Amino acid sequence: MTENFFDEEDFQGKVDRNTIKRIFQFAIPYRKWFFAFICFTLLTTLMDSVQVILNKFLIDQAILAGSKSEALRIVRYYGVTILVQAVSVFGFVYIAGMIGERIWYDLRQKMFMHLQKLSLSYFSVTPVGWIMSRVNSDSYRISDLVTWGLVDSSFSIVNILVSIGFMMAINWQMALIVLAITPIMIYTAWQFRLRILKEYRNVRRLNSKVTGSFNENISGIRVIKGLLREQENLREFNELTSPMFQSAYRAARLNALFLPCIQILSSVALVSIILLGHKKVDSGIITIGGIQAFINYVTSMLWPVQDLARVYGEMQQSIASGERIFKLLDTEPAITNIANAVDPQSIAGDIEFDHVSFYYDDGDGTPVLEDFSLKVKQGEVIALVGSTGGGKSTIVNLLCRFYEPKKGVIRINGNDYRRYKMESIQSRIGMVLQVPHLFSGTIRDNLQYGNLNATDEQLRQAAKAAGADDFIQRLPNGYDEQVGENGNLLSVGQKQLISLARAILANPELFIMDEATSSVDTVTENLIQKGMEQLMNGRTSFIIAHRLSTIKRADRIIVIEDGRIIEEGTHNGLLKQKGKYYHLYTQQFRQEKEKDYALQL
Amino acid sequence: MTSTDKIIDYDLTSARSQNKLVNLWYCMSGYRMRYLFAILSQGFSTVCKTSVYLLLSWFIDNWLILKVRTVPILMIVGALILLAALEGTFSFFANSTANYTAERIALRIRNNLFNHIQRLTFAYHAKVDTGDLIQRSTSDVDAIRRFFSEEAIGVGRILFLFTINFTAIYRIHPTLAFSTLIIVPFVFLIALGFFRSISKKYDLYQNQDAVISTMLQENLTGIRVVKAFARQDYEIQKYDQENWKKYQLGKRLLRMEAFFWPSTDLLCGAQMAVSFIIGAFFTIDGKISVGNYVAFLSLIIWIIWPIRNMGRLIVHMSRALISFQRVMDVFKEDQEQLEKGSVIPDKEPQGSITFENVCFAYQSEDGILKDISFSVKPGQVVAIIGSTGSGKSTLMNLLPRFYEYSSGSIKIDGIELNQLPRSYLRKYIGIVEQEPFLFSRTIGENIAYGVSEKKTLTEIEEAARAASVHENIRSFSKGYDTMVGERGVTLSGGQKQRIAIARTLLKNPRILIMDDATSSVDADTESDIQASLKNLMLNRTTFIIAHRIQTIQDADLILVMDQGRIIQSGTHQELSNQEGLYQKIFKIQTRIEEELEKEMCCD
Repeated sequence: MTENFFDEEDFQGKVDRNTIKRIFQFAIPYRKWFFAFICFTLLTTLMDSVQVILNKFLIDQAILAGSKSEALRIVRYYGVTILVQAVSVFGFVYIAGMIGERIWYDLRQKMFMHLQKLSLSYFSVTPVGWIMSRVNSDSYRISDLVTWGLVDSSFSIVNILVSIGFMMAINWQMALIVLAITPIMIYTAWQFRLRILKEYRNVRRLNSKVTGSFNENISGIRVIKGLLREQENLREFNELTSPMFQSAYRAARLNALFLPCIQILSSVALVSIILLGHKKVDSGIITIGGIQAFINYVTSMLWPVQDLARVYGEMQQSIASGERIFKLLDTEPAITNIANAVDPQSIAGDIEFDHVSFYYDDGDGTPVLEDFSLKVKQGEVIALVGSTGGGKSTIVNLLCRFYEPKKGVIRINGNDYRRYKMESIQSRIGMVLQVPHLFSGTIRDNLQYGNLNATDEQLRQAAKAAGADDFIQRLPNGYDEQVGENGNLLSVGQKQLISLARAILANPELFIMDEATSSVDTVTENLIQKGMEQLMNGRTSFIIAHRLSTIKRADRIIVIEDGRIIEEGTHNGLLKQKGKYYHLYTQQFRQEKEKDYALQL
Repeated sequence: MTSTDKIIDYDLTSARSQNKLVNLWYCMSGYRMRYLFAILSQGFSTVCKTSVYLLLSWFIDNWLILKVRTVPILMIVGALILLAALEGTFSFFANSTANYTAERIALRIRNNLFNHIQRLTFAYHAKVDTGDLIQRSTSDVDAIRRFFSEEAIGVGRILFLFTINFTAIYRIHPTLAFSTLIIVPFVFLIALGFFRSISKKYDLYQNQDAVISTMLQENLTGIRVVKAFARQDYEIQKYDQENWKKYQLGKRLLRMEAFFWPSTDLLCGAQMAVSFIIGAFFTIDGKISVGNYVAFLSLIIWIIWPIRNMGRLIVHMSRALISFQRVMDVFKEDQEQLEKGSVIPDKEPQGSITFENVCFAYQSEDGILKDISFSVKPGQVVAIIGSTGSGKSTLMNLLPRFYEYSSGSIKIDGIELNQLPRSYLRKYIGIVEQEPFLFSRTIGENIAYGVSEKKTLTEIEEAARAASVHENIRSFSKGYDTMVGERGVTLSGGQKQRIAIARTLLKNPRILIMDDATSSVDADTESDIQASLKNLMLNRTTFIIAHRIQTIQDADLILVMDQGRIIQSGTHQELSNQEGLYQKIFKIQTRIEEELEKEMCCD
């Protein structure tokens, strides 16, 4: 997947029948309803044509014949058609709309479920915004196409066909003229649509850039003012908005030209009818009412033609949407359970990295870990240290089986962990991330994430153990306090405490923590330390460590640089080596102490 | 200024009427006649349309029924084609001109907003919510655009259709004309009521849409947590609940729509039926001709159906006016004057700076800075140390006139600061921020961001080399053309900081402000940055905000700040021998070194 792929806004190539087929498969569960609303649609358009015919009768049989009772009789029929039409309009609006909503719902659910199955590697290369557009808007276009698109196109096609049919019945020669002009109208409309669509595409593309510019202009305001960029920024911005204006105006002009062109074509048809029709009236082949009906059919013909062109344009976009949705749905999870994977019931035990090598698929293939071997005893606490990008996070990702080794084996209790079910490993790991992630909802909801069946008492215990209980109690709604979108109503330290409590509640057999580098106040810092103690106690633990106290507490310290272990041992032992660890430690020591004093200041 | 004048063809900050309609009128400046022309064209187009039906009516009466054939058929046909062509031409003019105006006004508002936002004061930016401002700049502007391109012209169209067609029918027979109006007020009121009430339900539906969108976003950004706790099923269930709720709300919305359309259809249909029968009776009684009746059949459609759309248009228009108000509210805020100043020096500043009894306070707040006095010679290094909230950053915000001091005097080369134009100051002051902000463009463009004249690649590379980031950049496969940001590489804090330093180096400022430039960087890369900072400070008057003494020991002047005041000042030598905060800090720091020593030997 290249950068370009995520930029692609619209469908460019040929209409793929397979995609259309797959799109309409989403409608299959509701085929009965489809049948119903298409019937209603047809009934509605049929009534339209009947009304025109009734007008013809009104003229010919009542007005020209001078019969008021006949007029009343015909208008009564007219009333009936209006009633039928009202019912059928209700029918297709409601059913088509409902099915549309339903298919939209289905699609969102389907994609959401599929996303849960995909591996982490997918999310590391796919921007969140891209996925969100698929789930939120592309799904809408699909549901819109299979419902309203179908309503409008069947309405239009039937309308044209029925009109022509009635015209045939009145006078076939004159109907043939209309029949000849209709395809020209449709073709013209279609050509206009294609060009308008192209401009709109351009407008949309530029519009998202304009939004981006506004965003940067606001969030980078300090730099902009400091660097005196105002003039230049405005010039650059205008280079976006001016072409946007050009494209939008071109589209609007085409749109404005479109309808008159169709109208003129229909007036050509009208004129031909008059030229041909007036002689026929003289010879009595056609009545005044018949002429009127023809005029009516021809002048109202342009609406369905216009609709057809619009639906066709939208269909192109929908197919593009469909292709992107299928792209998502067709993505296989990179990591799956092997055929006869087992649930080990427990993953407590020794862990071994045996000559593991790994590289990320989206990178340039340079190994992040190379020939990495490590044996960890049950209950051991391992501190991973080293500079950013050295491979610490990769070790953790492999251990959680978010990724699998490219070479070598990871063993849990002496068995290759690929023989176990993925969920059985992951559900027994407690993980605390560097940037704590909470979900909207209450604190209780977030804690329960660790254990859905936890009682209030258990929640409380876990929060206490993590040192979170105190601050939770102080909140106006206690455990029922809303944490806001992404937990943003809480401070970073508070989020960290809650994510610790969440991990404690899960009672994992293996504990993994990526320590935060961002500074929190000393009190919270101490609470976090205590919470970690709770979790490390008796559990095999891997800590990507930054704080000295954590590092010193570990049973073993692993120094990782460029994907290899360069030093390994206890704190004291490593200090004596005066190597990389010594260097890191002294720097960290100064930094931490200085920060301590800065806080006191 | 000429280029700005061209881009901002009308300054919207001058539209300051209390009445939003008057402001809307200002906003249309330059396009008013055009828009009037669009509306008039709409009228002509309607006249042509109606004429076609009247001509047909005449044709039926004279040619077909009475067989009075004084006018040749080709002339009638020619007239029909001509009328259709005229109708099309006018309709084209109307729509394209209205859209031209709409797009022009949207362009004008967009450019104005963009420019205005970047020239607003810091005080405004500090209090404003980014998301809200972006919404005003995008969806509100779009609502205004639609106001001109669809809604205003649409209302005009409906009014013309109504008046012209009504007049035409009135000419045929007055009673007939009035008979078409029976349901008009009902349809209009129902439509208005419907669109009002549906907009509430619609908001509810939209909110639910936002709920599931947020849920999805949280799920995606927290996918590691979901996986780590193996909570996929729980997430699916949670999502399903809200997703289903949206479906239900959508259905409710639909039920309303499904009732509205056929019920107004029914009303309009009933009106048609009534009109048909009245028309038919009139024709039979000989009050109107058959041709007139045929014309009437076509004309009545153009009276009744557009009325149904009026409700929608009016609701949308009132929304657009709210959007317009939201946009104009932004323009009410005052801009910062960049070029204004009573003294405009013709050369760059030497860099001697004196502060004398300077005080500063944000509006309606206690003084943030009190009685600040010190002076700096060109090329000297001043370090400011103090706790968070002591006023260090605020003090530095005064120099480029991001904020204005409330009393006292600041002089650069002997000239009072507030007499110098902001643009002059900012041109010669370079700032390295605590958390550097890079723009989503290439690394090369980011480095050259602060200079107006074109820079060659060698100059950019030189700056990068001096900031010791050249090698890092070279290691990316696209080098200086590597994109920064979401679509590009993820840079480490240290790399970002050094790119920002390169950016400042290329700008070549006379006065330099460094706001704790090394605090967001991990220990390993710090030494790299230190070296590049040394390069940057060479021959420039420099201010360093820091909280580590080791980085400022060589400073020519150290200011110790506490609660908005300078409590101590002097060189490291002087201050460390003087009892006070600085000595305390210094002692702690020495103690840290001792502790470290001890820890190393005893373990």
